[in-house]
Amino acid sequence: MQGASTPLRGALLGLALERPGHGGDLASRLVARLGDTWRIDTNDVYRLLDQLVADGLLDAHEEPRRENRRRTRMVYRPTDQAESAMTAWMETLLPREPVRLGLHAKLAVARDQDAPRLLVALLEYERECLRLAQLVAPESGTQQRSWAALVMDCTRDAVWGQLQTDIDWAARTRRRINERMPVQSR
Amino acid sequence: MTPLLSFANVGKRFPDGGREITVLDGVSFEVQRGTFVGLYGGRRTGKSTLLRLAAGIEAPDTGTVRFQGRALIEMTGAQRVRLLRGALAFMACGDWRPNLGESVVDHVAMSLGSDGLTVRDARRRALGALDLVGLSATSGSEPADSLSLSERTLVMLARALVREPGLLLVDEPAVMPNLGDRGRFYRLLRELASERAMGLLVVSEEIGALQGADVLMSISDGSLCSTEEQGTVVPLPRRAPSPAAARSERPGR
Repeated sequence: MQGASTPLRGALLGLALERPGHGGDLASRLVARLGDTWRIDTNDVYRLLDQLVADGLLDAHEEPRRENRRRTRMVYRPTDQAESAMTAWMETLLPREPVRLGLHAKLAVARDQDAPRLLVALLEYERECLRLAQLVAPESGTQQRSWAALVMDCTRDAVWGQLQTDIDWAARTRRRINERMPVQSR
Repeated sequence: MTPLLSFANVGKRFPDGGREITVLDGVSFEVQRGTFVGLYGGRRTGKSTLLRLAAGIEAPDTGTVRFQGRALIEMTGAQRVRLLRGALAFMACGDWRPNLGESVVDHVAMSLGSDGLTVRDARRRALGALDLVGLSATSGSEPADSLSLSERTLVMLARALVREPGLLLVDEPAVMPNLGDRGRFYRLLRELASERAMGLLVVSEEIGALQGADVLMSISDGSLCSTEEQGTVVPLPRRAPSPAAARSERPGR
């Protein structure tokens, strides 16, 4: 049996443990919890749910819809193994994920003549990071510090921290390339 | 519609030893009334210089900075001072300078200057501004130099708001040590700007301080990158590398 492993898989399992739900419900709760910056695809959610069922961590049962009892939909419930898989995932030390993969790969093999294209790509990446930062919902700023509010703030902070690091990296890389480029080719 | 603040191809250089360094290079963007523009940048990227140019405290070497369509460079020194005491407020969060023994309410009231107000009226307006930022009349009677860092920042905001500006410029709001206080302060800034249809330009080293911005920009090497295409400046700066840098890069060719 596989554990919760990848981030979205683990998060989906955690949500099902909190409260069973149908695919659409779990997908919308996942987006609400992680934020728009994850760009979650509903098809990926269903694929991961199928995997979790295949791995024995979720049970899928057809249940009648509340609004129309004659129609059914698949509801996902955690199995007896789900709790321990979730705990194991929480305890797993994750390797740093390779980020900015495309740009990283381009940089690694770029030729001299690719410098202007790299600069444009880096600038676009920086702009995309700024757009993603805009998508993060602002903190409520309320006095109440529930556990749910705390984990939401920490999630938000994780996204901002990552985006800030990436913006700094893109700006620094552009600067280094600019300093290297002969003036006449700019 | 005429923007509240506009930068058109603005450049600024500073002497650095025997040469000049370019701090801002061809910077263009606009701040509309009721809009929150956030500018993210690391240290020494030119973001505070940009804010001082916006406030008319410094003049650009090239390009034009306009407030409500009027070029700041065309104003007299006295007109710019009047602007800074009225329609435009500049808040540098690390710059806390109350007079010795001054009460909080007097520190806020002092920023109204001698605008024909009686001391009583100035204090009444100051108390109103303190109330807006969530500080009570009781804390208004305390000596300004006894405040915590978070309270100081709120008082500075009250001091900026008491003149009912159309544009508020905020330099580095991420100074509060307590993260909860920071979150509440950012929300307060956004809400007050929105309620009063003020323009808000905030610069910070922390992107989280710019949460909720309508337009988000970053600055590096004197150039802007913006979520709005309009604020974007060319990716290839015209600045030539220093001779030393050019020499050090040449071997191998």
